Parts: sequence; structure tokens; C-alpha cells
Amino acid sequence: MNRKKVIRILLEIIRYVIIIFGAFWMILPFFWLFSASLMSPQELMSDVPKWLPEKPQWNNYLQVLKRIPILTYYKNSLIVAGSVTLLVLLTSSMAGFAFAKLRFLGRKILFSFVLSTMMFPVFIFLIPVYYLMKLFGWLNTYLSLIVPFAVSGYGIFLMRQFILTIPDELLDCARLDGAKEFKIYTWIILPLIKPALATLAILTFIGQWNSFLWPLIVTSTAQRLMTLPVGISRLSLAFSTVETQHLILTALVYQVIPMVVVFLYLQRYYIRGFVLSGFGNL
Amino acid sequence: MKRSVALLAVVLCVLLSFSALAKTKLIFAVHWSDYQVEGVKDENGNVKVKGLRQYVEEYQKLNPDVEIEIQSVPFDEYLKRILISHTAGVISDIYVLYSLWGVQLVDSGILDQVPKDIADKVRASFVKAAVDGATIDKAIWGVPVEVANYALVYNKKLLREAGFNEPPKTWDELIAMAPKLTKRNPDGTVAQYGFAFLAGWDSAVVHPFLALLYSNGGKPFKDDFTECLLTSKEAIEALEAELKLFKNGATDPAASVWTFPTGKVAMMIMAPWYETALKLGFKDEYEATVGVAPIPYLKKPATIGYTWFIAVDSASKNKKAAWDFIRWMTLQDAGGFTRMGELMAKNIGSIPPNKQDIAFFKAELNDLYTSVFVKELENTYQEPNVAQGQEIKTILMREIVEAWNGRKTAEQALSDAKKQIDKILEEFYK
Amino acid sequence: MAGLSETKGPVRRKKLKTNTGAGYAFLAPALLFYSIFFIYPVIFSFIVSTKRWNMLVPLSRARNVGFSEYSYLLRDQMFLGVFRNTLVYALATVSLTIVVALVLAVLINNAKLSVLWRFIYFAPVVTPQVAIGTIWGYLYRPNNGLFNSILRLFGIKPIYWLTDPNVALWSIIITAIWAGIGGSMLIITAGLKNIPQDYYDAAKIDGAGPFRQFFHITVPLLSPTLLFLTATGFIGAWQVFDLPFTMGRNAPARSVMTVSWYVYETAFQSLRMGRASAGAFLLFCVIFGFTLFILWLFRRGGIKGYE
Repeated sequence: MNRKKVIRILLEIIRYVIIIFGAFWMILPFFWLFSASLMSPQELMSDVPKWLPEKPQWNNYLQVLKRIPILTYYKNSLIVAGSVTLLVLLTSSMAGFAFAKLRFLGRKILFSFVLSTMMFPVFIFLIPVYYLMKLFGWLNTYLSLIVPFAVSGYGIFLMRQFILTIPDELLDCARLDGAKEFKIYTWIILPLIKPALATLAILTFIGQWNSFLWPLIVTSTAQRLMTLPVGISRLSLAFSTVETQHLILTALVYQVIPMVVVFLYLQRYYIRGFVLSGFGNL
Repeated sequence: MKRSVALLAVVLCVLLSFSALAKTKLIFAVHWSDYQVEGVKDENGNVKVKGLRQYVEEYQKLNPDVEIEIQSVPFDEYLKRILISHTAGVISDIYVLYSLWGVQLVDSGILDQVPKDIADKVRASFVKAAVDGATIDKAIWGVPVEVANYALVYNKKLLREAGFNEPPKTWDELIAMAPKLTKRNPDGTVAQYGFAFLAGWDSAVVHPFLALLYSNGGKPFKDDFTECLLTSKEAIEALEAELKLFKNGATDPAASVWTFPTGKVAMMIMAPWYETALKLGFKDEYEATVGVAPIPYLKKPATIGYTWFIAVDSASKNKKAAWDFIRWMTLQDAGGFTRMGELMAKNIGSIPPNKQDIAFFKAELNDLYTSVFVKELENTYQEPNVAQGQEIKTILMREIVEAWNGRKTAEQALSDAKKQIDKILEEFYK
Repeated sequence: MAGLSETKGPVRRKKLKTNTGAGYAFLAPALLFYSIFFIYPVIFSFIVSTKRWNMLVPLSRARNVGFSEYSYLLRDQMFLGVFRNTLVYALATVSLTIVVALVLAVLINNAKLSVLWRFIYFAPVVTPQVAIGTIWGYLYRPNNGLFNSILRLFGIKPIYWLTDPNVALWSIIITAIWAGIGGSMLIITAGLKNIPQDYYDAAKIDGAGPFRQFFHITVPLLSPTLLFLTATGFIGAWQVFDLPFTMGRNAPARSVMTVSWYVYETAFQSLRMGRASAGAFLLFCVIFGFTLFILWLFRRGGIKGYE
């Protein structure tokens, strides 16, 4: 008895040692970002990264607010990232449900097609999609920032994998009761894949929030639509950004904080899923 | 009574709509940062140093029928943005172009012919290096707005510590001095480099090499660009001159010019845009520490330069208005100087290529740092405006770095570069 | 159990009718989207790949060159080399990221302060590129970087992490694994939350220790998730651009360049959009074939999750 307990405690200690050791390396650059945002340009020029500022330059945060219209960028980024996330959640869960639980002709082929949409490097799409935006007249509207990302093969694939784990019996019961597929989707599927939805929401939001190249190209003719990463790039100089490096780092903190908020907020959905007692080993 | 009022209203509406139609809209695409576009303002919002915006507003007041929209995109993304928008027919009217980009645009017929009076004025009023920069296939395609070159930047204190009161004048002197300025730690790592090469992107590596090539009496291409001359005796000697610094321990591929402001590098070849970093790094010690001198020469003094010029899109619907604005901004005398020259010298902090501006802005250009670059303009060779310039420079950069790392000899590296470059030249210059 | 097998008894047969109408109804938005934003660009790019186009002349005036760009690429040492680099990168990054993420996710899942750990491990995903580049650049610095300082303590000669052609790609891979663990962990965590506690309780009663539980409950029930991570991991790794591009600029290109970087440079620096498009299509073919291979492997290994 005693030996087993000792081994168990040892394993627990090893477990936390691993976790903490890993956590240190994971958080290092993130921590440095916050620390560096409070440094002066000189401190940032040092050969070796300094870990703590000599005198916290809280003024950097005010300076950035004055220099670039952060609030406008926040608004634009929020509209774009939020809309895309909602659209992706919707289209991915719908398509994922179809691929996982509905039987129809061509299901396999269509799913392979969806997978293959992920296999092209993004540069290929820049020119033709930009042309489409001009054609539709969306160039100076949020639509050009949102619609081209409304459907994600990655999201569809993710939703499909998670919906696959829902027992068919549950759905068949509902169908026997006369429920239509859409009702099943809304009342059974969606509530059961909350952690997956939260995950997709986080990843999609972050991907859109940090997106740079496409918003840059599109907002170059509509500067009032600039998102955060594009707006921050206005602080950088052609060569040797030393002058504004401290402001850029501070601006990046402004950029990072909402993602942290979204991540922490969505953690509430990482709860244990349904309890399958009664379904045992079917 | 009512009918005449109605008639009047209709006439007024028509007139108003005509005046709205008559407003000419120009889109001006630049790669400048926020301060450079919006101007530097103090706490109360008053403009301390004018940015592009202020000049544009001034012009719009003088010409109420013209409206200019400034669209700014970071330098790294500028060319991409032009290319992608262009394919959809979304163009700007006025560009500020790096000369090598200009070559592609000219070859594809994207740029508008420069009005003769402007071309003549450019030839007359601008320094040779800048005029060469705006010249593609023997014609001038825009007005130069910025010219930059390279010089030797050194740490006076470190030199004095090692017993040198003067920077090296010839490359051989540099090769002799640099190892004496290299200090090592007891564990073998380098505490201070005698010399460091600029690296990290194509121009960084290729430009100083080209400077040495010209200084050695050579040139990278035949004048008609039908052949690459990088395997000439002069070129191989120039690269070997660089390699000597690696071989005698004065530098190695791990040396970084970005550590110069912390006193870890004694000498480097650098451009005018690094001034602010040096001032920030050395603070009060700046004047006492930083020294600038011409690049130590091989056979004759020479340095390399690159240029930016302003041009008009050939598909623009308002070409005349665009050139009018350009004339006002870059050529018209505003009191002994040009407005673009003022923007360059006072705000952007670079060298205006107009001879009159260079003479006028003494306060900005005659300081410890920039003055040497300005003086060296007379020895500056403009980098050749060759088609596929960036592709060619990237090839050359990669070969030079192989030689720096001792993986290829100078001759091997240059001959490999020549093979690839000749193939490209064949495509464009028959 | 659902996901592991689909029981088909006589009662089931009657229920297995097709619901094509509903199927396509749920797919409609996605299909509409793809017909506009995928099919058109792909056809466009394919046409471009048969031309010499610098994006400045109108496409209609671009010279037709048939498949010569494809044959150029297939004979170009540089292009074939970057495929090799990308393959190494993909194999190393995907396999190690998933293994490490799996272990860590399981360790953290029911630990104290799990939300805190989940956040910290996720931090690299939200850390901006410049911070990652600065810190890792410092760690890898030959003269006074942290890694070489540690090596020096053991008397080992300094390694040129980001400039030595034999090492540079691996340095980038290490950073890529570090950066990718968080996202994979998040997805695995979601998958873990779907595993009913019942199974673990039953196993404990049967006397199974943590390792048996891991290999006989956790991993099998995570197989849809693991398949997802493997497939999308490879699809993403084959297209990697950002990290090698920013960290590999001081190493010889032939040792760190990836296919996407090559395509990007060909398009926007050399202005050869035709060749770049051809490169993209060749990459697509490789990714497609590779993904089929991975799925086949999974099926051979008896791991369900793809039907």
C-alpha cells in the first residue's frame, strides 16, 4: 500500500514539474512582449534582450493612443473577426453535421473536395479574389474583409470529427419522434459540441485578428477600414525601425489583449461533455 | 414666380453637379510612416514638422478643383500592393517608386511618359546618381525624390583605443586595421568585431559589394545588359577583398551591424537611414563616438547609390493634373528650396537629390553623419536599372553569402551567380 | 460506441435511409461559397500557370507558354530542394507537435489550475511574430545566446543555429513545434472533454493504472481528433511560410527555404506569376497525394475517424 502511494505521489510531482518547466518556456516571449512594451528605445537596442525595464515607460501606452487611431482599428478588427467567426461557426457546424451524420449521394467526394480546398497556398487566391471584390463592388466595404473567409475547410473538418463522436442512437431516437434534421442540428448537435465550437471560435478569431496581408491590400484603398495589424504597421519605417520599436511593441500589446480576453472567456465551454451512462457498451 | 424659382434651382443643381464632376481626384500611393504622412505634431496638435498631408492640403487650397487622397502602405508590401490592385484595374495616379521596381513598370508600359519640361529640369537640377536612378532604357521616367548611398561608419573611441586616430582610406588599410580592433573573450567568443557586414536582405549584401566593384574599376553588367560581368578580374578581386576580412579574423558571419550602437562593432558600411538608431544608442556620447568616412577604396573612390522617383500611371485618367502636382511638389521653387526636398530633409530625414535643396538644407544635411554621405554623392554610382533587378540581386546575395561562409571561393560564387544571371538577362535583353 | 464502429443490426437497417435533401441543404452555403471563392480562383490560377505573366500587363496579353513552367520547376534543383526541406519540416513538426501536445494536454486536463496552464501553453499562439523572433533569435544567437552559453558550460563548441545550413532548418523546426503545441493542445483538450468519465472510473475499478488508461481509453477515443490534427497538421506544414521566412533569412536559402516561400518569392520578387502558380499546383498535387497516404496509413493502423 505504502509503495503504491509513494509512486503515485512521485508521479504527481513529476507531472507538475513537467507542466511548470514547459510553461516557463511557453510564456517567455509573451512575457517579454509586455515587459518590452514598457521599455525605452535604448533598452530595446541592447544586444541581449532585457527582461525587465529599468523604469516602466507607461507613457508608451498613451503615446500609441495619440499617434494612431487604436479605437477605430479595434472597431474594425472586432467587426471583421467577430463576423467571420460567427459565419465560420455556422457554416462549419452545418456542413460538419451533414458530412458526419447525414447520408447523401456524393458525400465522400464532396468531403474530399472540402479537404482539397485547404491544400492550395493562399497567394493563389490573392489576385482572383481581389478581382471578385472589385467586380462585386465590395472593395470599400467590410464585405471584402469578411465574406472571403466565411467558410473554412478546416472548420468543417473539425466539426465533422467532433460530431462523429455523437452516438447515432441519440439522433435516431429524435428522428423516430419525428424531429426534422434542422431541429436535431440545433437542439442536439450544437449543445453537445460546445468545446469544439469554442475551440473553432478561438482559432478562427485569432486567425482573423492577426491577419495582415489581405486586409492590407484591401484597405489600401479604403483606409478607414484598416484593421489592427495593418494600422500598427503604419508605425514602422522602411529601414531600421529602432525609433518606433517601443511603440510597435506597445501597440502589439493592444493587439494581444483582446485575444487573451476571448480565450479566457471561452474557457467556460471546456466542460466535460455529456455523461453516457445508460449507453454503456453498445 | 414659382416657375422661375424652380428653374433657378435646377440651374443651380446642374452647376453644382458640374463643379462636383469637375473635381479631379488624384490617388497618391506612398510607403511612408504615420509621422511622415501626417506630420509631427506637439501635444496641442500643432504641426511641428510638416508631413505630406500638410503639403497636399496646401496644394488643394491653391487648386480647389483637385482632391488628392494619400494611400500609404509599408515599404515591404508596396510592390505587392501595386501588383495585386493593378490586376483588377485598381490603380493609383502617382507613385513613389524604388528605381528597380520602376524598370518592371516601364517595361510593361505602366508608367506615363514624363513631360519634356520636367525631364529637362531633372537632368539640369538633380545630382547625377539620382538622374541615373530615374533613367530606364535611356529615358527619364520620373522625378527623383530620394537618393541614398553608403559610407564607412566607425566608432572613434574604439579606434583610438587601438591606436588609430584616422579611419582607413584604402581597403588595404582597412584589412590591416580591422583585426587589431577585434577582441575576443577568454572562452573564444568575440566581444568586439573589427568589422561587420550589413546582411539580411538583397541590397544589404549586394550594395557594398557593388561599391567595391566600381571602386576596383569594374562594373556588374555590360552597358546594354546583354551580359553579366561578375566573373571579370575586377569583380573577383572585389569579392576577395571582402573575404580577406573573414580570413584574417576581423569579422565572421555571426557579426551583426545592429550591435554597433552598443559598441560591439568598430567599423561597418552603412547608409544614411541609420542615423537615428545611432543617436538613440549612443545618446550623449554620439558626437564623440560616431565617425563617418568614405568607403575605403580599392583603386578609386566609389560608393553605390539607390534612388526613389515619383511617377504617374499611364492608365491614370488625370495625367495632366498629376504632373501638375508633381511639378509643384518637386520642382517649383518654394523660397530657395522645393517642397519635396523639405519633406525629405526635415521630416523623413533622407537626402534630397535636388542640388538646390542640398545647398539649402544645411542644418539637416551638414551634420556629423549625413554630410559625408552628401559629399560622397559625387562618387556615387547608381545601381544599374536592370530588368528583374530584385531577382538578380537575390541570386547574387546568396552566392556572396556562400563565399562569406567559406563554402565557395570568390571565383566559384561569382561564376555560379553569372550563370544564373545571364539566363535571366537573355530573357529580357536579346 | 459511436466513432469506433457503427453497429448495424436489423433494427438499424430501416433507419439508414438517405436524406439527400437535408444533406445538401446543410451544405448549401459552403458549396455556394466554394463555387465562387475557390473554383474560380483555381481555374484562374491554372490558366495563369500556362502563361508568362508579370501581373503588370493584362492577362490577355500575357504570352502563352503551355506547361513549360511546370517542366522548368521539375528540373530546377532549387525547387526540388525546397520540397525536400518542406518534407523534413512537415514530418518532424507534425509528429513531434502532436505527441508532445497529447502528453501535455493529458497531464494538464485534470490538474490544479488547469485553466491557467491551458492559457500559458496557448500563449505562443497569440504571441506576435516579432516577440517570437526576438526571443528565439536571442536563444539561438551564436555568440552570447542562451543555448550556446549552456553548451559552453559543457565544453561544447558553439552551434550556428540559424546560419549553419545543416542546423538551420532544425532550429526552425524546434521553434515551430514550440509555437504549434498550444493550438493542438486546445483541440485535444476539447476532445478529452468528450470522453465520458465513466470509462476511466470503470477502468480504475478494474485496476488499470494511468498508463493503461491512456493507451486503451484516451488514445482510441481521441482518434477522430488525432486524425484531424495529423491531416491538417501536414496540410498546414506543407504550406508553411511565416516562420522559415522570418527566421531563415540569414541561412543559405537552399537549406531552409520552403515551397511556399519559393512560390512567394517567384511571384512577388521575380514577378513570375505563371511560374509561381505552377509551383502552387505542384504543391497541391503533393499535398493531395500525401494526405491520401496519411489517411490510408490511419486506416491500415485500424484507427477509425475517417469513416
